[in-house]
Amino acid sequence: MRYLAKIAFKNLFRSKLRTIVSIAAIAFGVMIVVFSRGIIVGMVEQVFADHVHYNSGHIKIIDEGYQKRERLLTLNYPVDGLAGGGLEQMMAALGEIDHVEMVIPRLKFGAMVSTGDKLISMSGWGVNPEAELAFTDIEDYLAEGRMVTPGRQEVVMGTALLEEINCQVGEKVTVVFNTAYGSMRGVTFEIVGRIDSGLKLLNEMVFYLPLDQAQRLLEMEGQVTELLLVTADPELVPQVLPEVKALLVRAGEDSRYLALSYRETSDLIPLMDLSELIFNYVYFFLVLLSCIVVINTMIMIIRERTREIGMMTALGLEAKNILQLFVIEGAFMGIAGSLVGSVLGHLLTAYLGKTGFDYGQALSGMDTEVLFDTMFYPVASTANAIFAFVLGVVVVTLACLFPARRAARLQPTAAMREGGQ
Amino acid sequence: MALLEMRGLTKIYDQGKIEVPALRGIDLTVEKGEFTTIFGPSGSGKTTLLNLIGCLDRPTAGTIIFDGQELGGLDKKDLAIIRRHHVGFVFQSYNLIPVLTAYENVEFAIRLVNKYEKKEIRDRVMRILAAVGLAGLENRKPNELSGGQKQRVAIARALVKEPKLVLADEPSANLDSKTSEEVLQVMAKMNRELGTTFIFSTHDPLVMEYARRLIEIRDGQVAKDQRRE
Repeated sequence: MRYLAKIAFKNLFRSKLRTIVSIAAIAFGVMIVVFSRGIIVGMVEQVFADHVHYNSGHIKIIDEGYQKRERLLTLNYPVDGLAGGGLEQMMAALGEIDHVEMVIPRLKFGAMVSTGDKLISMSGWGVNPEAELAFTDIEDYLAEGRMVTPGRQEVVMGTALLEEINCQVGEKVTVVFNTAYGSMRGVTFEIVGRIDSGLKLLNEMVFYLPLDQAQRLLEMEGQVTELLLVTADPELVPQVLPEVKALLVRAGEDSRYLALSYRETSDLIPLMDLSELIFNYVYFFLVLLSCIVVINTMIMIIRERTREIGMMTALGLEAKNILQLFVIEGAFMGIAGSLVGSVLGHLLTAYLGKTGFDYGQALSGMDTEVLFDTMFYPVASTANAIFAFVLGVVVVTLACLFPARRAARLQPTAAMREGGQ
Repeated sequence: MALLEMRGLTKIYDQGKIEVPALRGIDLTVEKGEFTTIFGPSGSGKTTLLNLIGCLDRPTAGTIIFDGQELGGLDKKDLAIIRRHHVGFVFQSYNLIPVLTAYENVEFAIRLVNKYEKKEIRDRVMRILAAVGLAGLENRKPNELSGGQKQRVAIARALVKEPKLVLADEPSANLDSKTSEEVLQVMAKMNRELGTTFIFSTHDPLVMEYARRLIEIRDGQVAKDQRRE
């Protein structure tokens, strides 16, 4: 086999141009695989991260009644502790569950700002700033100013929202909202920060304020609308979720509170998982497409070497050895092409992973509640490059079986006759 | 002692609805160490006979006994083993592998035998290349060799494994008369020194001059079988 491999390797240099074209075709296919897989993985990771950061955490605890009215941002179904023990005690109990690293409280409410000629709808998020900075990537989106500070009547808003209400960082804004008791209230806040995010929700809809201020102003002391649990690894959710539910059962609050995994609260994540699976088939066919060039080359090679195949058979090479010889030659092209393609694909993905793609225009009509970032960052990973490399080598080698079998089936006398023409 | 015994050897090619008889019941015996030429007009069946003797094809009827072994019952793999170990081929158009050097082309045949150590392979290849007059040219590729030199490489490739039989199909067809003579001298020398049996198929009178036995094939039958001293 090693000797056949040596001859197969030398055969690559017979027609350098043809070999280069075949290798280039494979390289191109593999490069596209690395790149498109980088985009898909990047998209999936981003959708996952955005959903976990700005919607559900890894596990979300809400009141059962809140689930049905979540879009209305109702304040009538708060999370306020277990069996009258208060919110702090509930958060502490949840934090003690194995693998739970953080418990993030959020108090979301509907609000409005008047610009004089129109009313702008908004969503207020009362948050623990320290926890938000630690858990989410909001700090990366802070284009100006700083995050809110507990105890201060201040807000951070999205760039588009600030434009809509004609305000800037450092100015004051009066926000109108309903308290938990239904009375309308207007409060003036100082704008201390501006968020510039690809997420329409953060850019156009949300304003952050300190949780203590939100609770005080909404008359919801010791209450939030949701608690988000963050585990060390999303893979641990199936292990942690039953423990959270068991805690709710022990406290007799299982009929009131819902504990939902991140998968249960997203339509996009299962869709992305499915698309990742479907794209694996697309990658296979992409490489197969570039194999057409290799198969064509191999067919030409076999036609040209018919007489030589006859000579080899005459010297005692068996059909399986002839098959091996051509498959190895194809495999060498597959290895070279896949190597070049995966390296180039990795470099291209890494470069575009830094600059990103802006799909803002294409996604401009999308609902603000859909957590889909308009900036895509392809993910360059060694695993991805290795996947594409292996895929390229395997598919090209298998594709070469077809012409190689033809060579192996040639009769030595026919081969010598044919080659003699 | 007989190396080859052919009895009632018949080959019919099936070309669609037409059956074309190439050999019609040939009886022949070839002794070990013979230097034999098969000649005859085009289409007389020379190459077909060589293919059957060289285990490249199977007869439609009749038997071939090669060195005491009946070939009729052997499968493709067994025939390949006989070719690999006991039969050398010299082709009209040399059929060298262009990406391999003269040394590597000769080495190819002996590597297939798979019974020699690396050093022995090298010694044998270098020895046979020297014997055919190619010492010092072992690193040249076929495109750097003349027609005569290429045919010498092909002869060395056929002889390196010390086969019992060498079959040469029109070995001088692509060579000028001077080079043909040189090549024939090499083969005659190998026949004398190694005792290898040579069977040629040719139209070339020069090759016939060198042969010690002349077999004329006409219409798929032996028309004349003449031995000379």
